[in-house]
Amino acid sequence: MLLDVTQTGGGFILVEDTVQCSGRGLLRCFINAALKRGEDVHVLGFESPEAEVCAGLDSSCVHRLHFHKGFPDPLGWTRRSSFTVERFTSQHITQLFKDTQRAKASVLVVDSLSMVLRHHDPVVFSQTLQELRKGGVIKTIIGLLHSDLHQQGIVGIVCHLASTVISVAPADNERNSVAKTTRRTKSGKVMQEEEYFSVSEDATLSVQAKPRQPGRGQKEPDVCETDPTSNLTFNLRLSEDERRAKEKVALPFVFSQQKKSALLRPAPGSGRIVYEPDASDDFDEEDPDDDLDV
Amino acid sequence: MFPELNSILNSTPDSFKSSDFILASDRRADASFLIHHYLSFYLRAGCKVCFLGLVQSFSHYSAVGQRLGVSLAQAREKGQLVFLEGLKDSFGVLLQDTSQQETQPLSFLRSPGAGLEGLFRFVERSVRQSGDGDAGESWGPPVLLIDDLSVLLSLGVSVGAILDFTLYCQATVCSELQGNMVILVRCEEEDADDDEEGSNLLQRGLVHQCNLALHIEGLPTGYCRDIHGQMEVWWRPRGETIYNQRKIFHFKVHDKGASFFARGTSSAVL
Repeated sequence: MLLDVTQTGGGFILVEDTVQCSGRGLLRCFINAALKRGEDVHVLGFESPEAEVCAGLDSSCVHRLHFHKGFPDPLGWTRRSSFTVERFTSQHITQLFKDTQRAKASVLVVDSLSMVLRHHDPVVFSQTLQELRKGGVIKTIIGLLHSDLHQQGIVGIVCHLASTVISVAPADNERNSVAKTTRRTKSGKVMQEEEYFSVSEDATLSVQAKPRQPGRGQKEPDVCETDPTSNLTFNLRLSEDERRAKEKVALPFVFSQQKKSALLRPAPGSGRIVYEPDASDDFDEEDPDDDLDV
Repeated sequence: MFPELNSILNSTPDSFKSSDFILASDRRADASFLIHHYLSFYLRAGCKVCFLGLVQSFSHYSAVGQRLGVSLAQAREKGQLVFLEGLKDSFGVLLQDTSQQETQPLSFLRSPGAGLEGLFRFVERSVRQSGDGDAGESWGPPVLLIDDLSVLLSLGVSVGAILDFTLYCQATVCSELQGNMVILVRCEEEDADDDEEGSNLLQRGLVHQCNLALHIEGLPTGYCRDIHGQMEVWWRPRGETIYNQRKIFHFKVHDKGASFFARGTSSAVL
């Protein structure tokens, strides 16, 4: 599913990472895939230099990549950036796209949304994103979020806005990472999948399916091979004679006529209950054993 | 400078990686020996050093430097070391006239909400002076050392503002001037983490930015006379997706150095 998301794009794709595992490599794969599709890519880079984000991209498509430098000066302290965090509004961004519109579809990449969220109110930020999505100029928005730097609630808000959420985490083995992709289709269906992935030097993505539950897959063939009834110390089946003999046996709880008479006959010398009610006794007229079949 | 730490990190004053952001952090232990290590390391390497000493006086660092074989006073006179003495200079900022506070590096003391732009300008000025060479001496790549950033939290600066400041420092010192940066932060106990504006949040933000994280922690089993704690070395090379190159060492700090050893190989055990 991860490969599918990178190839097609569309909507708002959120890449979530933590200190354990960086999502920037995946972001480069998205940029690379969009460039190969022949789309305009606008990158708002606040956290890392252009060289790092664009390393290994296909040089034949680089002219469609527009890097809006926010990195050395995201807040405008030294006036060395072309794009500051303050200008993260739908008007400014739409303007950027209109100035350079060439291809049929455009992609907006934000590295990272954490920087933007630090300087904008979450509500205003959500509105901006929503306006950008509805604006019609941008086909795909891809954002990187360091989810361990924000409150749970804010991460939740951003995840709700996204049509696809990809959380990256380290895998047990050395070379791969795990991506958990949650994708909401327009009909409202939610699909979820975990896959191993690795990013090569030239920003291409290789995806491997994750074994469903390590261990369970190996057990299943074992179950088919061994028959649990093969080596029993007792017999599970009855022959015809055995069945007849079994049916003849009266079960100890069945109340036969003989048993009933044997129990009800007063035996000589057995005890008797004599009861003389007091004046204050609350005597119950009803037979307490009325409902018994005796 | 501790030769054992150099061999673990594979760097010497003659040859070390440039453009590195090294984060030293501690929890229930003291990592300031790392700051002393790096201060003497970079002074020996001939780098232009800008030191923001926010928690101790100059004479303290100078005395420790003397033991490690570098003279801070001399380096300061030669112009190799720019030292901001937070403890002393803060008085001046708090007592001065309100009219001329804008250009001060410590102006955040008066208005912590305004951010750390003044402090960054001070750093930028100091690290850019290296090329002037007016005294006939030219220094190597610039280095920024900060001891320690978490005090800014208690002075009312928000985590976001500190992370912005370090991002600017990284952009200028590491990316533009190919220098290095070493920052110390102190973390709170793990379970005090619900505080959203806490030092743990700051540490996580800095780990996202750094290339090498050295985390000092006390032994989980408690105090020990022969092992002062453990150090986790976490290499985070730029452009990598997964950072699973981590190693844990035990250490003991001596009078004039520190020894590091693999877990279970301390002289007390063997």
